[in-house]
Amino acid sequence: MNWRKLRTLFLWAFALSLIPATRYYQIDVPLLHFLRGHHVDPLSLHLAGEFVENNLGTEQNSDGSVTVRMIAQQYLFIPHCIVVPVGVPVHLRITSADAVHSLTFNGTDDAVKVLPGTVSQTQLQFPKAGDYKTVCREFCGAGHYAMRSEVKVVPRDQFPTLQPGERGTCAAQ
Amino acid sequence: MLRNNRPAASAANLPRPKAALTLGFTLLVTLAACALLLQAGDSPPDRVPSNVAWTPETIAAASSGDAFRGLLLAKRCGHCHGDEGFSARASTPNLAGLNKLAIWKQLEDFRTQKRLSHAMDPIAASLSPRDEADVVAYFSKLPVFTDPQDNRAFPQSRPDQGHAAIATHLVSFGDGERGIPPCQACHGPVAYRPGVPSLMTQNTDYVLIQLEAFANGTRTNDINEPMRTIAALLTEEERKALAEYYGSGLGLQSGSSTSPK
Ligand code: HEC
Ligand code: HEC
Ligand SMILES: [Cu+2]
Repeated sequence: MNWRKLRTLFLWAFALSLIPATRYYQIDVPLLHFLRGHHVDPLSLHLAGEFVENNLGTEQNSDGSVTVRMIAQQYLFIPHCIVVPVGVPVHLRITSADAVHSLTFNGTDDAVKVLPGTVSQTQLQFPKAGDYKTVCREFCGAGHYAMRSEVKVVPRDQFPTLQPGERGTCAAQ
Repeated sequence: MLRNNRPAASAANLPRPKAALTLGFTLLVTLAACALLLQAGDSPPDRVPSNVAWTPETIAAASSGDAFRGLLLAKRCGHCHGDEGFSARASTPNLAGLNKLAIWKQLEDFRTQKRLSHAMDPIAASLSPRDEADVVAYFSKLPVFTDPQDNRAFPQSRPDQGHAAIATHLVSFGDGERGIPPCQACHGPVAYRPGVPSLMTQNTDYVLIQLEAFANGTRTNDINEPMRTIAALLTEEERKALAEYYGSGLGLQSGSSTSPK
């Protein structure tokens, strides 16, 4: 191995390392979850466990924060519209039923990578009320460009009071 | 000796305070148990849309049918679904050439009461798992022709110009603004997702009834809610336009395959 070869190798490594450095800031690194055991079976999310239908949406926690559970699938985020109060910590838990997706929020630079088989968990906070479009930024197939949904950030007094078993979505509002 | 004395002495002291203590303790335990029960009562049971999950075993079981045995079983279905898989009534679905997994899942959902239908629930309940796979193999082999005139009892309606344009756009592009993916990305011909039926030779009335049922939550057997979500995002007119589009054979193009291999 001579120096020329080593230099080219180094330059290539540098150039390749630039690829992930796009505009979006990855706020969760789900690959690490494989070490920590956040496993879910992407094919049977609907049968049992955390991501059954009636557990999706916004859950009110006792400390004032909320937990949002979502499923990303080709080519929809479920629930399609979620509602959270402004200015409180939002614990987002999302998993994929099929391909790799990436959840981004228009107006912020955050990106959450969503992989099948693992739960991505992040904490967000929306400082301003309003409607945020959520967009998938990872090409996931034929309908990818229409894979969008919405987050409604509402003032705290407009956020519905949720009973322990109840989950909030826009439809229920 | 000493040991013998001790219990006797403490037993003499016992009656009042200890009894009260035991009583209080029992009460506390009962209360805690009640609270726990109430808590458990608070979290509603899981709502499971369908017992089907597309594991490799399920897919193998659903696609291992014997079409000849299915032909014999299908004698019972022809009355409503047509002898060649094209039904005479527009509100009864055409089954000819549909994807195996798609038909199988619906039979399974009828059988387990995840999809409710007066007509189909008793029929599905009378089919054994083997019967299901066989009848599915038969219907999936029935031919569908790219010229709509060759398909029995099909096409029915012709959409007007405005409706055809709306539907064509939704089928091929969806609506990115509202987050509606293109129908053809899941229902073909561009791509098929497992268990998604082709709609290209489906009846207008049937498609409309199903879209309405998804939108108002009377049909809830789609895994992870894609159709309930999409149907609710569509307007009344769009649902109509889409039903006419599929019912009149606009989705059929010569050369395009009508079902996934
Ligand atoms: C009494 C009439 C009748 C008979 C007989 C009948 N069906 Fe049906 N079937 C229906 C109707 C009506 C529907 C639509 C149900 C709805 O609207 O929810 C249907 C729906 C279906 C569907 C769902 C199709 C889809 O695209 O979702 C399948 C699969 C099916 N039938 C298979 C069968 C098979 C197999 C048999 C024979 C063993 C059979 N049916 C016999 C009336 C019948
Ligand atoms: C994300 C994928 C996806 C997209 C996009 C999609 N569908 Fe579906 N659709 C499904 C699935 C999955 C089913 C089967 C539901 C089940 O398992 O019962 C279905 C079922 C249906 C049915 C019932 C068919 C039957 O035979 O019972 C109709 C009608 C329908 N879709 C219409 C549409 C229309 C119109 C569009 C476009 C606006 C569309 N779908 C877009 C996934 C999709
Ligand atoms: Cu995506």
